[in-house]
Amino acid sequence: MNDFRSLRRPMGRRTVLQGGASLALATAFAGSSRIAEAAGGKVIIGAFADGGLTPFKEKIIPLAKTQGFDIQFLEDEYGVTLEKWYADAKNAAGQYDLYLLDDPWVPQFGAADLLEDLGAGGIDAGDSDWIKSLIDMGWWPPQTGPRVAGFESAKPKLICVPFVGDLQTLTYRNDVYTKGAPATWDELLEMGKAGVAAGKIKYPIVFRGVSGNPIVTSWYPIFLSYGGEFFDDKWKVAFNSAAGKAAADFFVGPLKQNAPPGVVEFDSDQEGAAILGGDAGAIIQYSGNALKADDPAQSKVVGKLDFGVVPKKEKAIAQIGIFIAGVPKSAPNKANAIAFLKWYCGAATQAKLAEAGSIPVKRTAFQVPKPGNRLIPVALKQLDSGALPRPRTPDWAKVEELLGIELNKALQAGSGGGAALDVAAQKVTEYLTQMGYYK
Amino acid sequence: MRSARRARLQGAGFDLALPYLLLAPSVLIVLAILIYPLWDGLRASTQFWRYGKPLNDIGLDNYIALWSDPQFINSLWVTVRFVGLSVAIETVLGLALALFCLREFRGIRLLRTVLIVPMVITPVVVAIVFRLIYASDAGMLTAFSETLGGTPVQILGEPLRAFLALVALDVWEWTPLMFLILLAGLQSLPSEPFEAARVDGAGPWRTFVDHTLPMLKPVLAIAIVLRAIDAFGTFDQVFVLTRGGPGEATRLISIYGYDTAFKFQQTGFAAAMFVTMGLIMLALALAAVRLLRRAGPT
Repeated sequence: MNDFRSLRRPMGRRTVLQGGASLALATAFAGSSRIAEAAGGKVIIGAFADGGLTPFKEKIIPLAKTQGFDIQFLEDEYGVTLEKWYADAKNAAGQYDLYLLDDPWVPQFGAADLLEDLGAGGIDAGDSDWIKSLIDMGWWPPQTGPRVAGFESAKPKLICVPFVGDLQTLTYRNDVYTKGAPATWDELLEMGKAGVAAGKIKYPIVFRGVSGNPIVTSWYPIFLSYGGEFFDDKWKVAFNSAAGKAAADFFVGPLKQNAPPGVVEFDSDQEGAAILGGDAGAIIQYSGNALKADDPAQSKVVGKLDFGVVPKKEKAIAQIGIFIAGVPKSAPNKANAIAFLKWYCGAATQAKLAEAGSIPVKRTAFQVPKPGNRLIPVALKQLDSGALPRPRTPDWAKVEELLGIELNKALQAGSGGGAALDVAAQKVTEYLTQMGYYK
Repeated sequence: MRSARRARLQGAGFDLALPYLLLAPSVLIVLAILIYPLWDGLRASTQFWRYGKPLNDIGLDNYIALWSDPQFINSLWVTVRFVGLSVAIETVLGLALALFCLREFRGIRLLRTVLIVPMVITPVVVAIVFRLIYASDAGMLTAFSETLGGTPVQILGEPLRAFLALVALDVWEWTPLMFLILLAGLQSLPSEPFEAARVDGAGPWRTFVDHTLPMLKPVLAIAIVLRAIDAFGTFDQVFVLTRGGPGEATRLISIYGYDTAFKFQQTGFAAAMFVTMGLIMLALALAAVRLLRRAGPT
């Protein structure tokens, strides 16, 4: 009877508080034990569709499963991923645990404070095995170089870690460039023209001419090879220097004349088709397309394509454009995602990645006895020869857009590259002034 | 007595409140999905945004800045040209097809059905198909030209051609809508004036100019305004076909607004752009309503 009476007793405020506190403590302990024990579990990875991730998808995801990770790999078209993931992180929607970002997006996510501090999560950025130029891209604000307004004195945090060490390299036809990769732009065009005359190819070179990111990406290694500098250390526009203008004039003039006639409207698909279809003699491209060179299902010239360092004018410098992983603050399985990254960045997994044919992000992995792709040693050679990332600013997309429009107009005309840079420089300066870069 | 009165009053009160209670869920949903985003957009358009956050209120500065942004002016001008040209061609073709299909002959039902097929295809699919036609490397036109011994056809890499190619796509897809509206309008016209004209010996052209066109004018005007509103917001076809290029030749205001909001993350500026775009569309919609009223019960 007494027991029943006690059950019927109305719950007092203290009882409710005690119950609530017990429940909260129990939940907190349960949560902390999950974080502490996380060495596997569900990880939802967001990625944009790109051939550079094929080895990861085919070989590393199954390997991760053997380590207890339940990987959900969600792919989208490149053009929509930035918007989608930014909205996901900004609205704390929690749809992803890990974004495989294009590296110029790191400043946008970093400035908006949307990603976890991976250094605090236990990822060691000081490991000497990292390729320095790659791990440097994971910091926000950047550890070196100019910083945007509002972040001048902020302490850098490691918000991303390199995932696939992608960068531009030269792919060329070994039956046209019989002495190996052309060392200079002049050599590339001269031997390419001979290849056209011999009926081996239709065009010495192919590149992307579509306004915005595609054309700027194609022009960038030429610009760097001419010794161009994009901004000075105060964000003053420097790309319309004499070197920059010479690179632009070369790009819209001689290079266009030796490219397919429709190059102004070419994007990745078209340039890929031109090289893999046997029409073009050379291309500067990222690994996603380069990896298709040996695939008979995708290439008509298997065995005829080799890889090399990009040609030079003054220097042979390529653009780095890596896949870089960040964990959104709203990730539902944050601890799992960080545990996955620790495992993925470990020497053993990186070696497996190199064996699978993907460009690793740790130096020792480049030394595996049997790299899964002939591009891997060339990529290391390019990294050592010279490879630079794009400027670390959240406004890169707009800058690239303004420059890309003017370059595209000059490419249509087939002349006036230098003048186009002057117009673009003025527009970029106006924009950056509005955004508070110059005080 | 008192309790009976209270019960009656309660009943009356409940009866009075019932319609509002029944409407409340719908009103709340409308407020949540229509009014709040609209209000939020308007508020964002008066703020300076940086790094995904509103930093300060700047009143109408974003609206003023729009008119000194050459990219916005260019996009607006491209959009106006695109809407003007597309809708004009669609109207003429739609009317011609409607007049042709007004007649009854064998197979007319099938023809009418076939004619409206383009507008039921997803715009993105239409854009992909047209890209496969226009592409200079492996497009259908280039293949055709090369078969005849010609050179690759350059369309998407040349500003004027790319713009006209976009108009052609829009005309192909949306002429059926004009055709459908105008056919319905033609079918609803009274037959007496036409019979009288025929008795008076009027020819087809005279009948069209003096009777068909004046009587069809309200429907025609509404069709044009509705199509213009729709064309003003065109996005998917351009996104797939040209992404606004070459240069800025096909960059409609919708594409520039999208890029500004999501690629460049200038939320406030983009919101001002979309509000301005909304106001233009609202003006067109008001014109449509006015024309509808003037048209009367027809």
